Amino acid sequence: MAQDQPLLAVQEALKKCFPVVEEQQGLWQSTLQDCQPLLASLSNLAEQLQAAQNLRFEDVPALRAFPDLQERLRRKQLETGDTVLDRLEEKLDTLLKVRDTVSSHVERVFHTYEQHADALGIDAVLQPSVVSPSVADMLEWLQDIERHYRSSYLKRKYLLSSIQWGDLAGIQALPTTWNRISEDERQDLVQDILLNVSFFLEE
Amino acid sequence: MTPDSGPCPEGPLLKLLPVDDRDQGTQRCRLGPAAFRTLGVHLGSAVRVSLPGGGGACLCTAWPRRDGADGFVQLDAQCASPGSAAALALAAGPGGGGLRLGCLRAVPCPPLRRVTVWPVLRERADAPGDAAVLEAARELLRNRPVSEGLLLAAPPGAPGPLAAVHIVGGVPEPAGLVTARTCVGLGAEPPAEEAQPPAEETLGGLAEAAAALRELLRLPLCYPRALAALGLAMPRGVLLAGPPGVGKTRLVRAVAREVGARLLAVGGAALQGARPGETEARVRRVFERARELAARGPGLLLLDELDSLCPRRGGPHRLSESRAVAQVLTLLDGFDGHQDVVVVATTNRPDALDPALRRPGRFDREVIIGTPTLRQRRAILQVITSKMPVSRGVDLDELAEMTVGYVGADLAALCREAAVLALLRDEKRHDSPTIDETDFHDAFKKIQPSSFRSAIGLLDLRPVDWEEIGGLEDVKLKLKQSIEWPLRFPQAFARMGLTPPHGLLLHGPPGCAKTTLVRALATSCCCAFISLSGAELFSPFVGDSEKVLAQVFRQARASTPAIVFLDEIDSIVGSRLGGRAGCDVQERVLAVLLTELDGVGLRAEERRGSGSDQQEFQEVLNRNVMIVAATNRPDVLDDALLRPGRLDRIVYIPPPDQKGRLSILKVCTKNMPIAPDVSLESLAAETHLFSGADLRNLCREAALLALQEDGLEAAAVRQEHFLRSLGTAKPSLQHVDLALYENLFKKEGLATLEDI
Repeated sequence: MAQDQPLLAVQEALKKCFPVVEEQQGLWQSTLQDCQPLLASLSNLAEQLQAAQNLRFEDVPALRAFPDLQERLRRKQLETGDTVLDRLEEKLDTLLKVRDTVSSHVERVFHTYEQHADALGIDAVLQPSVVSPSVADMLEWLQDIERHYRSSYLKRKYLLSSIQWGDLAGIQALPTTWNRISEDERQDLVQDILLNVSFFLEE
Repeated sequence: MTPDSGPCPEGPLLKLLPVDDRDQGTQRCRLGPAAFRTLGVHLGSAVRVSLPGGGGACLCTAWPRRDGADGFVQLDAQCASPGSAAALALAAGPGGGGLRLGCLRAVPCPPLRRVTVWPVLRERADAPGDAAVLEAARELLRNRPVSEGLLLAAPPGAPGPLAAVHIVGGVPEPAGLVTARTCVGLGAEPPAEEAQPPAEETLGGLAEAAAALRELLRLPLCYPRALAALGLAMPRGVLLAGPPGVGKTRLVRAVAREVGARLLAVGGAALQGARPGETEARVRRVFERARELAARGPGLLLLDELDSLCPRRGGPHRLSESRAVAQVLTLLDGFDGHQDVVVVATTNRPDALDPALRRPGRFDREVIIGTPTLRQRRAILQVITSKMPVSRGVDLDELAEMTVGYVGADLAALCREAAVLALLRDEKRHDSPTIDETDFHDAFKKIQPSSFRSAIGLLDLRPVDWEEIGGLEDVKLKLKQSIEWPLRFPQAFARMGLTPPHGLLLHGPPGCAKTTLVRALATSCCCAFISLSGAELFSPFVGDSEKVLAQVFRQARASTPAIVFLDEIDSIVGSRLGGRAGCDVQERVLAVLLTELDGVGLRAEERRGSGSDQQEFQEVLNRNVMIVAATNRPDVLDDALLRPGRLDRIVYIPPPDQKGRLSILKVCTKNMPIAPDVSLESLAAETHLFSGADLRNLCREAALLALQEDGLEAAAVRQEHFLRSLGTAKPSLQHVDLALYENLFKKEGLATLEDI
């Protein structure tokens, strides 16, 4: 029993960590869902700006009566755009929090493992049981998950920071580019891993 | 600085395998359990790997192999000394012999307080500020073990301005771990030689073929003992077949580079000599040279365009060629299994090769690379455009959908043309042009797929809109239903469990817009349109016509979706009805057409993509070629042609009724100044039995008459002109003919009913 002690400790840490990942994954997904309408409205706004740019205001008799209409309209549109961008920033902060929470939990599991690593030996961590994958696999998955959140967050952050109001076509294509990020990465990585450990967690 | 780069210590030999896809960019080093025990490392411990031959070192984290096998090692050399990629490739190669376990050393990896780096920026980044670079470097370094003097490359596909960072200072020997609390600073440029960021994979859409080839090259190199134990002789010959421009030669070169094999490339034509015996001597010399190369490491002999060197033997005046073929055959047989020479030949006419070449032992494996499918085209476009400044509005999916029938070379030409257009457009911003969607569309108009350059029956047709054809509304609907819908909305057809029709026969009296309808059809569904007439088909040589027809279908299948249009089909194919048991050309053409329309299957060379892939759903549905035939003598057509599954829809195009005539007249007089007194309605009423062509002729006559009477300054065509030309014009249709057309298929329908 005594030599099982370290293994149990690591498994205990893993059992604590995966539910956190599950919960954070839900938060991550719902945040991504919330971003969709914001991006769509940003893209619409870019279309409006484009239309206002293409219109020659002095040629339209009905609009000539309003002085500075074009500038005012532009300012208003840009203000709206900045509001939307601010809200997107908030969402991005949520994503960052998810990432950091997962990171810290994963770090804690690895810390636990390193404390017990000498006592554990290599064979014990490589041995899967009927209901649970091997400890090595689960640690590897946690690392994969952490890396996934990190790269996914980074890609989104770079995309949002590359927005410039001078590049209207780019903003219009924003929803597509955003979705492409999700499509390019392994979307169901976290979900798959959680399925893999579901028996282990119920044990 | 690298105290451990001397000659490697002893230890069991580990085979160095290429890294798994999912480990790319993770800095993992996969080891077997025995290696774990020997090194005394835990999961995720830092391991320093000294590469043999003073090739530098790399730093990894130790993880167990999934299969738990010992004797192998896989390295993701993301953090390695500059220039170590070559040493790694050498060690992975068969000559290198892998790694000794002693080359691996567990190193302590304490968390770092601070680290100093020198960033390597991406080529296309527009000079980001120091803060942004620092932040990117912090993200890149996070949770990674590093060591001074090494280069940490960004994982493939990662965003951000950084391609790599040099670790220039702050790390105590031998290594340290960057954590969230490590302070990252920018340092001075390292004095070391210019580091090259890892070269990216440049093959798009050829993953399957590349995997087949790679396996063949790698198996004997990686598992020689296992194969010897099994008593297997590995295949040594591969034949790559496919249309020109799909990337056969490029594939071989890329795989050779990747595997680290020595490549000897020879063009088939370059081996031809003028004097008797010279060709054979050159062939012998080439094989000898390949053997010499193979003595030093794995070798790959590429015989490009093999069909020019080894044509089919047995013809007259082919003595010299058959000697060359015989020489190649004996040389191929002469290779014994111990020499690691793999012979790869490419051809785009596998049929023209001598059959003796295509047996196991010579060219054991044939890899067919077809015209790229939708997904392959997308992958190719992605590879090509990855190095171009493409604006974000460009949708590669749409571009891939548009470029039906384009091979890799065509797609490269397309992108090049788009880049040139972007350059010309942005005269002002010569230094940083970006390529827009419109550039691609303009280039698309200019670049034709190369399979079409030598194609038979390809037309440049004047686009015709459905609206330009007066009347015939129900016929138009039927045409759209049976041709346009299956091509444009295949999902809807699949959902309803419909198989798209194979063919369509338009019949009706002459001059009633059959050909114009087809033209409108070709305009409206943007797909390859191939028209064939008797003139292109018939030749004085026996068997030539059939060959041409088969070739047309082959071309059409290479660029599906496609429409093949046979105008005046009664003149092209004969009928077997007449009771004459002749061997007429027309009957043979008919037989070819019947099998092409409803044959057993495709020829193996025409395979495209992977047949079993569910993802390619849409293209699988669109795989068939649709055939449209027009005739005004449907009665002489063969019955076998008219059954469902071949020309399964038969559309009668009637002469225009009064309403139709009115709309035709309107279309004909659209560009004609007509006087206000002209009543097209009355004209339509009076032109009973006039076909569309007759009506057009009538309008022309009237206009000519106006010019003749009122002089060349005539302003308008008056009703009187129309009436007078009506007096001379005769309708080309007759009641008797019409009755014949109308009753033709009705009667047949009755007959079959009675039979039952």
